[in-house]
Amino acid sequence: MKKYLLLIFSVALLIITSCTENKQQPVEQNMSGNSIFNLSTVWHNQNGDSLQFKNLQGKTLVVVMIYTSCKSACPILVAKMKTIESKISRKDIEKVSLVLVSIDPETDTPEHLKEFAKTNKMEEPQWIFLSSNEEATQEFANVLSMKYKKISPIDFSHSNIITIFNPKGVMVSQEEGLEINVDNVVNTVSKTVKEFK
Amino acid sequence: MYRLLTFCLIMFFVFSCTKSAENIETNSENVHAHNTEINSFSSTDVKMVYIKGGLYKPFYGSDTILVDVKPFLIDERPVTNAEFLAFVKANPQWQRSSVKKIFVDAAYLKDWKSDTELPLNADPEAPVCFVSWFAAKAFAKSIGKRLPTLDEWEFVAMADTDTPNARNKPSYSDAILDLYLEKDRQYKKVKQSKPNYWGVYNVFDLIWEWTDDFNSALTTGDSRAGEYDDKGLFCAGGATSATDVLNYAAYMRYSMRTAIKANYTIANLGFRCAKDTLITN
Amino acid sequence: MNTKNFMLLAATAVVSLLMSCNTNEGTKTTSTTQSPIDMVAEGEPEMAEVTGAPNVPAPVGNRGPKKWIVKLETTEIEGTIADSTKYTFWTFNNTVPGSFIRVREGDEVELFLKNAENSVLPHNIDLHAVTGPGGGAAATTSAPGKETSFTFKAINPGLYVYHCAAPPVPMHIGNGMYGLILVEPAGGLPKVDREYYIMQGDFYTKASSKKGLMEFDNDKAVAENPDYVLFNGKKGSLLGANMIEAKVGETVRLFVGNGGPNLTSSFHVIGEIFDNVYLEGGSTISHNIQTTMIPAGGSAIVEFKVDVPGEYVLVDHSLSRAFNKGCIGKLKVTGEPNPKVFKANTLVKE
Repeated sequence: MKKYLLLIFSVALLIITSCTENKQQPVEQNMSGNSIFNLSTVWHNQNGDSLQFKNLQGKTLVVVMIYTSCKSACPILVAKMKTIESKISRKDIEKVSLVLVSIDPETDTPEHLKEFAKTNKMEEPQWIFLSSNEEATQEFANVLSMKYKKISPIDFSHSNIITIFNPKGVMVSQEEGLEINVDNVVNTVSKTVKEFK
Repeated sequence: MYRLLTFCLIMFFVFSCTKSAENIETNSENVHAHNTEINSFSSTDVKMVYIKGGLYKPFYGSDTILVDVKPFLIDERPVTNAEFLAFVKANPQWQRSSVKKIFVDAAYLKDWKSDTELPLNADPEAPVCFVSWFAAKAFAKSIGKRLPTLDEWEFVAMADTDTPNARNKPSYSDAILDLYLEKDRQYKKVKQSKPNYWGVYNVFDLIWEWTDDFNSALTTGDSRAGEYDDKGLFCAGGATSATDVLNYAAYMRYSMRTAIKANYTIANLGFRCAKDTLITN
Repeated sequence: MNTKNFMLLAATAVVSLLMSCNTNEGTKTTSTTQSPIDMVAEGEPEMAEVTGAPNVPAPVGNRGPKKWIVKLETTEIEGTIADSTKYTFWTFNNTVPGSFIRVREGDEVELFLKNAENSVLPHNIDLHAVTGPGGGAAATTSAPGKETSFTFKAINPGLYVYHCAAPPVPMHIGNGMYGLILVEPAGGLPKVDREYYIMQGDFYTKASSKKGLMEFDNDKAVAENPDYVLFNGKKGSLLGANMIEAKVGETVRLFVGNGGPNLTSSFHVIGEIFDNVYLEGGSTISHNIQTTMIPAGGSAIVEFKVDVPGEYVLVDHSLSRAFNKGCIGKLKVTGEPNPKVFKANTLVKE
């Protein structure tokens, strides 16, 4: 009888443990359905680490899609991003990530992105460069409602959009066009940082 | 007495376990969002048509640039209500009540009676509409297919019933325009009209269709801007960058593509699937 | 009184003089030369009244700049173009022309454009009263069932055409997608007794797949050879029971637009002379005009006092359009005869 009980007990224990094991979920609580942290695509940063958007959680994100070999619009966008970065208060900057996502994953390898960051003096921790594969890039571009087209092996045509996401990955606002108002972006960023203090 | 207690105890554990297993299931949908794990559902019987491809001149762009369309397979008709229903049954994460809002707007599967019931009076064999680009892509992926590219779709659309490229026939654009102007066509069954030269049905007569790279249509919604990218030129340029200014039907398709975003779901916008092929002849 | 106090007094006097001077100057600027861009639109946005032709919303009068919400819906509907002939019109707010919008310079307008869910095509709006890319066209391109919006400040007074600019534009306009927006100057237009909204358009038709229903004919449009040239989108829209009216002695103001898509109108009222014409809908006023030219995508404001009772015929004086293609309407003037101005001699000399 005792043996029998022991058996039951072990079985029960086994069930419990397996149960608890399953219960360990890495999922964030109350993630909004609108959050980009729902995207499951895998990206590489300039240091070669692989990550998902949800790893960027907790900071206000200023996101732009570019490609590093671009000679026309992207340098302007990169310059805008640098101006935005410089205008965000130093108190807030550690709560902000400025994310440059490549639309040319073939060329923009992590090494390439690292090089680009160095040349453009964007090496502080708030600068994040990402690239993935064509499918992930296309999906993300569509999340941003961005239009782009590869018009030659080295050239893309694309719309110019800077997007701000709150620390939960939900879009706060978008600024479009090469005449993007930097101050609008900076104001929205500081408001968002304050809101999620 | 003992036995009863043991039984109860076990039942309790089993129960609590099932419950958390349920949680896990819902949670796991969060984890593997939508692209990584999509369950294929009972396969559909849609025939795929071989398109041999070739050089073609896009409607917008330089006159001299020809695009080489590689051979591919395309569904002979749009995806139907019945097929999409089977898809959401197999993939609850794409049901109306559980779908992630980043992938669809508020009209997704509008008028469906429930998560797994078509709208009242909807014909199961009519094309599915009110689906986003993300949803269409997930559907295609679940059965090992993809969405056709814009160039592939337009390549097929050059055909009339007798020839692969009818663009120069005066009747071609007119006939399409007539079809486009008719309202509420999307409620009709698929395959009730004549197929085109390739054997592809319902290219024009039922719905607008998503293409994989619909967002590469870089004309702005203001047709007169018309430039190949949105440099903000607002004059009557549309007429200069379109290769065939009388092809009003093509203007309309491009107009539609520039008006939509990937999460949009619309009453007359559906899709069909395509696939790569190794056959080259 | 010591020096210090005196100085203080003097300073105060100078300052107050300066201030009063400034104030005077300030008032002057507001009334005459302040740029509409700098005018502050007061208060919370209100829903603007819009009207279908031939009616217009109430004049702006003396009010200051305000914020408005304007809502328009684009639709594709069957309607009557002539007698028993049906045509598929595309519209703003289900009418051809679309709703009349009336604001003043300095007003801020948040315009919402909703495309009906059962529309086949995307639509948008380009308002000629807007300073900015495409007149709002790109910002308002709306897929079926979707709504877009943008905000603009009306900075140039005048009468402006708005229209859909989605591709193919000639077809969207040819199907009736146009209307007028009036931006009144500060203080408003001078008061008149009657105001009406009239818009001309050319229509190119062919039989559709549905029996009895006509639709747009691309070839005729390219050839600029319309089947109908019409006021307010329908043959007879200003005839019979639909005539516009006035009484002897009243002043009449017509807001006349031309949607096109192709023809220029030679607008004329038979038996009247326009006392005032705001040329091309702008700020230059010309007097004593018989016929005024209204380009496609343009407008004119015409004013006249009616002195003699009778029916006055409105035409495009390119007369085949009036007599063969439907471009004809009537103004009915009632009241006492005015023989000092006009008298038909009944005696016939033999």
